Amino acid sequence: MIALLGPEASWYLGVAAFLFATGALGVLLRRNPLIVLLSLEIMLNGGNLALIGFARNLGDGGGQIFALAVMAVAASEVVVGLGLIVALNRKRVTLDVDRLNTLRG
Amino acid sequence: MVWGAWICLLSPLAAACLITLGGQRLSRRGAGYLATAACFVAFGGAVASFIGLLGRDGSQREILSTAWTWITGGSYQSGLSILIDPLSVFMMLIVSGVGALIVWYSVGYMDGDTEERRYFAYMSLFVFSMLLLVQGGNLLLLLAGWGMVGLSSYLLIGFWHERPSAIAAAKKAFVMNAIGDATMALAFFLLIEKANSLDFGILGGQYSSTVANLVALGLLGGAVAKSAQIPLHTWLPDAMEGPTPVSALIHAATMVTAGVYLIVRTHAIFEQAPKIADLAAGLGALTLLLAGLIALVQVDIKRVIAYSTMSQIGYMFLGAGIGSYPNAMFHLMTHAFFKALLFMAAGIVIHALINEQDIRKMGGLRQLSPKTYWGFLIGSLALVGIFPFAGFFSKDSILAAAMAKGTYGYILWAAGLAGTFLTGLYTFRLLFLVFWGEPSAFVREHFHALGRDVIAVSLAVPVGVLAVLSIVGGWIQFSPWWHPVTTWLQTVAEPTVTPESWQEWLSIALSLLLGLSGIGVAWLIYGARRLAVPRLPFAQRTLEHKFYFDEAYDALFYTPAVSLANLLRRGVEQPLIADSGRDLGDDTRDLGGLVARAQTGLLRTYALAIASSVAVLAIVFVVVK
Amino acid sequence: MLVASAGNVLVWAVWLVAAFACLGSGIAVVSFSNPFYSALALIGNLGSLAVLYLLLSAEFVAAAQVLVYAGAVMVMFLFVIAYIGPRSESPWMGGPSWQAVGAALAAGALFIEIVVVIGLKASGHLSHSEHVGAAFGSPAFVGRLFLTDHLLAFELTSIVLLVAAIGGVILGAHSRRNPDEVPSL
Repeated sequence: MIALLGPEASWYLGVAAFLFATGALGVLLRRNPLIVLLSLEIMLNGGNLALIGFARNLGDGGGQIFALAVMAVAASEVVVGLGLIVALNRKRVTLDVDRLNTLRG
Repeated sequence: MVWGAWICLLSPLAAACLITLGGQRLSRRGAGYLATAACFVAFGGAVASFIGLLGRDGSQREILSTAWTWITGGSYQSGLSILIDPLSVFMMLIVSGVGALIVWYSVGYMDGDTEERRYFAYMSLFVFSMLLLVQGGNLLLLLAGWGMVGLSSYLLIGFWHERPSAIAAAKKAFVMNAIGDATMALAFFLLIEKANSLDFGILGGQYSSTVANLVALGLLGGAVAKSAQIPLHTWLPDAMEGPTPVSALIHAATMVTAGVYLIVRTHAIFEQAPKIADLAAGLGALTLLLAGLIALVQVDIKRVIAYSTMSQIGYMFLGAGIGSYPNAMFHLMTHAFFKALLFMAAGIVIHALINEQDIRKMGGLRQLSPKTYWGFLIGSLALVGIFPFAGFFSKDSILAAAMAKGTYGYILWAAGLAGTFLTGLYTFRLLFLVFWGEPSAFVREHFHALGRDVIAVSLAVPVGVLAVLSIVGGWIQFSPWWHPVTTWLQTVAEPTVTPESWQEWLSIALSLLLGLSGIGVAWLIYGARRLAVPRLPFAQRTLEHKFYFDEAYDALFYTPAVSLANLLRRGVEQPLIADSGRDLGDDTRDLGGLVARAQTGLLRTYALAIASSVAVLAIVFVVVK
Repeated sequence: MLVASAGNVLVWAVWLVAAFACLGSGIAVVSFSNPFYSALALIGNLGSLAVLYLLLSAEFVAAAQVLVYAGAVMVMFLFVIAYIGPRSESPWMGGPSWQAVGAALAAGALFIEIVVVIGLKASGHLSHSEHVGAAFGSPAFVGRLFLTDHLLAFELTSIVLLVAAIGGVILGAHSRRNPDEVPSL
């Protein structure tokens, strides 16, 4: 049985939290939808890191399973998002999130 | 006998309902005859009750017939009951008898009017209400009748509702009556609180003097309003806007006398509150003088008679206030006869002169319609109280009773005698101006006599009947020698003053003298034109303005009320109520606009909203666990 | 916590490098105006994350991260960026004035909350990690878990991938209709 060397899980969680917050900031502040998607990836990765960290901390493999599922879902979501962007581009619509406001009430 | 009383009460109501429901199916004159027949049936019922009571012993003459228990509230209970006793039968006979004659007269008077059916429905309603008032078995039903006669009066004064003056007069009458109704209601509340009942018997109970004074004051307020005594008298002259039969029935013979009836019916309370009774007598004396003075300068034929009514009711109040109840009621009866006669004769004159009522345009009608002249003359002589006409017997006994009351009584007596002089003066001024002399230009141009048709019969016969009654109606009682009226009413209202013989004879002599001198002065000025009207501009102006009562009330009550109403409308109703509806819509729309600003359409703001909500919810979950 | 030994120091050093790379590349992704550079920064981020996973005994996940995420997803990203063409914008411009402030506040709040909540709830567990076997995180380990304890997650994940693939095909299909008939966005 191997002990965890190096920093305790709490350090990894701190990094994960920071990644999550950074990703959130990017989602909320950027106008290019591609960058928004990338920031979204950052957030997901932050969550993944937290899961893996806890998995190691508790000795439970379920965290790693969860992280793999998250990865699969992230991939799917990127596929759909990029498909949307490509479709938008084909319609000659400006790729600016602020201009896509037909839902305005 | 009990059936007779119920029939008396309900038959005019049935007529009113039938006329209302019949509508166009009933011809106009048919409605008139239906109403007349109903009133005569009522009179028959009253006679039946009278005969029934006659057959009984004096102490047995009080029958309370209850239809069903009408109101129950806690321990308070009130039945739908009518009282058959000498006083109520006395009034029933007067109301239904004179009422039937006047309704018959209206068939001819109102002939040709487009809304005759409405008129007769209202008249029947009025007769029913008045009968309810006098027959009511408890104070609650009396109040019901009281209110309904006020309503009928309003409806009938404003009958010709195209005329703004009629509408205004109707409102004025109703509002002033409402003041009286309010004071009466307060008195009733007090009675319910103290005695837990409104039956007539409770009035004899023992009350503290404050309570008795308050109750009596409240009742007096109602009586003063209904009978047009000072200070609530200004509505009566204006009420002459209604058709002449209405003036005859409501504002001479019956409704305005309801106040006197009330005082006599509730005399037990007034005897417990002597100051209030004195106040009633004083108001009566004051009214009889002021009304007599005002009548001297009136130029409208009906208004003169209206002020005369006010003055005579002052006599009745005087009598009732000092405790001479049977005499007051007797004067009520004779007054009903001759006042109705005067109004109806005046109505014939007005009809003949195509609705002209200004006496300055009249003159010389004696030759042109002699029978009307005779009717008017008989009524006038009865009014002034000349032997052997009706008024002579009734008025003087009130004055005699006043003498028996002490110092205050002597003051009242003097006022009453002065009033007799004034009565002679104004009554015969009217007679001479209208009937004597040469026919004026107006008369020559417009006079048209009555024909010999049904209308003429309906106009003439009641006048004739009342003329006869004005002659013989007084012979029923002559105070020094025989007094069946007093005996009849004694079981209900025992008089508290009994004048001595010398007081009676002195009053008779003086009043006769003063009455004749009044007539004489009137003849000198208006009949033979030997004297001119004295030039007293200040007095003339005051009298013409009716002692400025209308102006005072206007300034004291009407103008502040109107400005308050305007203030409330501008300050409260407009912004709060009217505008609030509109503002509600506007504000809702603005709020919606505010909310709509959250729908920016921008993806980023929505994402920010989600992120912020998550942040907040996380805190909430942590705190709440 | 700090166990002084040679292995420990090495792990700490690696951790520091990887953590800072991770954080730096994360900030870079959000900050660059050129999406191409952002995508490249993300690749770096993924790589440093893989290193961190290795330190946490999650070898299979680290490998999958590099292969799938960095290798496939990011390549797809770069394809699309290249397809769309050069685009450059001022990153922090535009939007309602309160957007920037609100965003900063929200992000900061989230960060603080995560730290606080984890600190409150799990601080007891975090002080000491479990000792795990050598096979922890190996492909066999993960595979066995996928096919036994977490079979449902495995199946659902595959369905999600299928749906995404179909969606991608539909979104990418050329429209047959006349472009004029399509309502403009």
